[in-house]
Amino acid sequence: MSEEVLDALTKVFAITTLQDGGSSPKEESFVAEYFQEVLAQDAIAGYIQKYRDYYDKLWKDFGTRVAENEKEVLPGEEIATKKVSDEDRAFQKFSVKLGGLFRKEIAPEKESRLVLSQKILILVRMLELLASDGRVSSKRLEVVKTSADYLVKDENIYRVVKDFVFMSANELIGQENILTVSPIYIPRTQTIKHIQVERLDGELIFLRMPDANMYFVKYTGKENIKLNDFLMKPNKIYQFTSGSIIRTQAGTSFYFSDIVTTFTSDQQKQKLSFNAIEIEYKFKNGNLGLRGVTVAEDAGNLIGIMGASGAGKTTLLNVLAGLETPSKGQVLLNGIDIHREKDKAQGVIGYVAQDDLLIEELTVYQNLYYNTKLCFKNLSETELDERVMKTLEDLGLAHIRSLKVGNVLNKTISGGQRKRLNIALELIREPAVMFLDEPTSGLSSKDSENVLDLLKELSAKGKLIFVVIHQPSSDIFKMFNKLIILDTGGYQAFYGNPVDAVIYFKKQDNQLRAEEGQCPSCGNVNPEQIFDIIEARTIDESGRYTSQRKKTPVQWNELFVKNFSEKVQAVPEETAAPPKALDLPNFFQQTLIFTIRDFLAKIGNKQYIVINLLEAPLLAFLLAFIIRFENDPLTRGYTYRYNDNIPAYILICVLVALFMGLTVSAEEIIKDKKIQRRESFLNLSRHSYLFSKLIILFTLSAIQTLTFVIIGNAILGVQAMNIMYWLVLFTVSCFANVLGLNISATFNSVVTVYITIPLLLIPQMILSGVIFNFDKLNQLVSDRGQVPLIADLMVSRWGFEAIAVEQFKSNKYQKPYFEYEKEESICDYRSKFWVDEMENTVVRISKLANTDSAKKVKKKYLALLATEIERERKADLRTTYGKAKRPKFDKYASALGKVSMDTYNEEVAQNLKEYLHELFKYYSNRRNVANKQKNEDIDFYESKVKGYKLDVYKNKYFNESLSDLVRNANIRDKILEYNGKLLQQVDPVFQDPLLPANALDYRTQFLAPAKYFFGKNIGTYYFNLAVIWLMTIILYITLYFETFKKIFEISLFSKAVKKKK
Amino acid sequence: MEIINLEGTEETPKVILDKANGIFEISGRSLPEDVSAFYGKVLKWLDEYAAAPNPETTFIFKLEYFNTASSKIILDLLSKLEGLANAKIHWYHHDDDEDMEEAGKEFQEIVDGVPFEFKTY
Repeated sequence: MSEEVLDALTKVFAITTLQDGGSSPKEESFVAEYFQEVLAQDAIAGYIQKYRDYYDKLWKDFGTRVAENEKEVLPGEEIATKKVSDEDRAFQKFSVKLGGLFRKEIAPEKESRLVLSQKILILVRMLELLASDGRVSSKRLEVVKTSADYLVKDENIYRVVKDFVFMSANELIGQENILTVSPIYIPRTQTIKHIQVERLDGELIFLRMPDANMYFVKYTGKENIKLNDFLMKPNKIYQFTSGSIIRTQAGTSFYFSDIVTTFTSDQQKQKLSFNAIEIEYKFKNGNLGLRGVTVAEDAGNLIGIMGASGAGKTTLLNVLAGLETPSKGQVLLNGIDIHREKDKAQGVIGYVAQDDLLIEELTVYQNLYYNTKLCFKNLSETELDERVMKTLEDLGLAHIRSLKVGNVLNKTISGGQRKRLNIALELIREPAVMFLDEPTSGLSSKDSENVLDLLKELSAKGKLIFVVIHQPSSDIFKMFNKLIILDTGGYQAFYGNPVDAVIYFKKQDNQLRAEEGQCPSCGNVNPEQIFDIIEARTIDESGRYTSQRKKTPVQWNELFVKNFSEKVQAVPEETAAPPKALDLPNFFQQTLIFTIRDFLAKIGNKQYIVINLLEAPLLAFLLAFIIRFENDPLTRGYTYRYNDNIPAYILICVLVALFMGLTVSAEEIIKDKKIQRRESFLNLSRHSYLFSKLIILFTLSAIQTLTFVIIGNAILGVQAMNIMYWLVLFTVSCFANVLGLNISATFNSVVTVYITIPLLLIPQMILSGVIFNFDKLNQLVSDRGQVPLIADLMVSRWGFEAIAVEQFKSNKYQKPYFEYEKEESICDYRSKFWVDEMENTVVRISKLANTDSAKKVKKKYLALLATEIERERKADLRTTYGKAKRPKFDKYASALGKVSMDTYNEEVAQNLKEYLHELFKYYSNRRNVANKQKNEDIDFYESKVKGYKLDVYKNKYFNESLSDLVRNANIRDKILEYNGKLLQQVDPVFQDPLLPANALDYRTQFLAPAKYFFGKNIGTYYFNLAVIWLMTIILYITLYFETFKKIFEISLFSKAVKKKK
Repeated sequence: MEIINLEGTEETPKVILDKANGIFEISGRSLPEDVSAFYGKVLKWLDEYAAAPNPETTFIFKLEYFNTASSKIILDLLSKLEGLANAKIHWYHHDDDEDMEEAGKEFQEIVDGVPFEFKTY
């Protein structure tokens, strides 16, 4: 209530008590009590003072006027029979004042400052004010009635409330919205609602106000009755709110939900049958966890599961909830075997584990909201909001709804609130059967009681609830309808009413006064007694306890079978399908919800966002700033062309993308592990979950790599390459994201995850092809002329190659002449190095002596010659120029066919020399053609294209160092004999793959301009991008199936088995 | 519009509501058993009048006494006049009757937009 309204109410109270002698001390203390009800402690005194001051002011005016009592007769009044006293006249202006207070302050007609329930509450308190001292005059009532007219339109409300305040139970009973509780038997009829209890002084009377959805209660007797643990004052009217409990002295409890259902008794009860007969459960290692446990229940029960630690409480809960499959016996819910007909039972069962399933960065409301949204596709936003708010209110969490949940160390909400919110996640679905594993662990006794009260209320509504409970208080213990007690080894020791359990075990132990289940004076039950008896140990001769138990679990179980097998019978099976409390959204909706939830959680963590967004630009600045230096010999300034650091820059770019991508994702899944387990229990899509992760991580990667590239390239003067760079780095980063998710899903601790990161990243550096030359690696790894296979697993190598080759091939300077220079390079290689080497080989053969060892060498040389002649011809015929212009060389055909040990002779050698010379001429000519065309093009561009100058372009777009790298300019041996072939060592970037062994032979030398794939040469840039995406997809698949985790577990498991043997 | 003309009694006031002649007056004592029953017709008449009012409306209150329940009805009645153009209130009270004068002043404070003129008789 606002200050204005409260101020006005103090005045209304003052006016109400003015007539008929003014306010009495009792009335004053009632007003004080009212303030205690609606105000915070520190504000109460102020308002009481306000009330007194105002009352005194009014009384000064009114009281003196009453005292005067001058019998003045006004004209026309002489004959009146209905006398109007001076007091009445004096009160006229106060009645107008009253109107002003309501119309202006409390309930203006145009704006509603109060909701109906608040208005009704004011009305109740005004009537109680009159009742508090029994001074109910018609004049005073008229004031309240008029106030009611100002407050509510419906005149009935005033009448109902007035009756409730002033009438006795006998007068009230039979009224539509009244429920009475007393020891008297009154038959229930259509109109009479009555509950008979064993012992109660006076009556409890409940009033329902259906329009405002409010309940009130008053107690007319003298016993100590507690409403939510507060003593009820006789005849005082209390609001009976959702979740409230009344406990009588005799131990009867009335739950809010009980009362609600009694009012609306025509409500249908859920039909449930839950039968688990003789359940046995075997652990993976073959030990028995449960031995012949029987549970049979129907709707509306709260069942406690107790037992010593290790007795199998949680195991039983998991088996009953369908998480673990029993080795013998079935769990039948309305006839459905929940383990073998999972799809039919889906969504019916709710399970609350001990784990904390909250998302720290989200608020209380958001946690529940997104959870609910994931469970129900057809709820509208308003329905969803209502449902969430109602659940929060029911659980007493509404006032903290906008607080962030925080983690256990950085607390914003209390442990009890956390627990209740965890329960709310499942509760909001309203599953028909619920299982809770120690919902009170770590909670204060007050909080524990709140949680159990809530569960009790739910069970009263017709749910079936199982709770594993540890050391319950007496009050909690008594709340259970039934108790299951397990003994060590999964033996059942008891099944029945909790108080009976105490009696049963006392009897078995032959204790005195075994019939007393609870303390006769205070009604307390001590559940510890049960375990003291079960686990009682024998005493040896010297009076010391031995480790031997008096009765073993087996003996207790035998007693159980003897005493209970008759009583515990399967409940009659219901055949109706159990109500489903789940309506999952489709894949896309789920993905969207997951993404929004994750996004909100991420932006909820400001540090995370700031670091992630600043990391890339900072690194880019640092890197680019440091490696930009005065390098131009002419201008003494900076020219891109002469920056020797560009190849290293490319490598660092790729590594940074990898690093950022990996670190940002490595913790993602491990963090959500528990939440995910729950979501898989709900059968939510794992694809959706993973996709939402990918959407967020890829977006983040896109932003990070973009800022990195823009800043780095701008500082270093790498022009017109941003998109090309970005696409590669983004791709690499996405790969790293998925890789990170994989390790996050594989390991079970954050530390392990971060230890793994260098293990994954260092090989990427070693095998990037830049730091260590691929040709100079261990012979087991290296494969001359081709990138080693192991390096093909490295994203760094694909990413680096993509950028380096593309930057050389497609920069604005190089692009128009790339093909010409490639031709020149091919011709140069053939004419200068290859023909030379071939001729030398021919000469070497001729100089060989005729010894056996020399023959071997000769054979080798001849094989080399034959192979290379064939390779050259084939390769050349694949080039455009070769196809069109290569002469037939028919003249030499027969000679070339004779390059082998048997047929080789001087004549063949001579012919071969001539052939090689012809080839030399052919390639020289071809080079001239290409060179001429290139020069023509240069002339054309320089004359025709405005602003084009070859030198300027070269300085701007061409980098010497990069060119040296991709042309392998610094190599000593331009040609090398390896494995009976001649390998071109120079100009890898001009060497297309011309002689693939098969359709899938994509392998080439490092920095090749294109890759071969299914009969086509694909540009290195696109091919490499495709390779990285392919690897990303493969990693997604392993992520989805948790492949690495399984491999890890299997290898660990097999080790363990070996050890055992 | 029909004319309302109610003779006053010991418990109910005299009421004249005559649109054609521009007479709007309530006078006498107001402490009926059932306020809403008595004033229901009056309030309804005023609603209809408010839909097509005269260019000027002068409402005369010449009350001797009103009880608490009536005070709410009078406030409702005054609120209806608030919406009218050129409405004013002539609040009469007996020379000696300070109570009625003060009550009128209280009404004046609550009701905005309708001028009060206090007169004695």
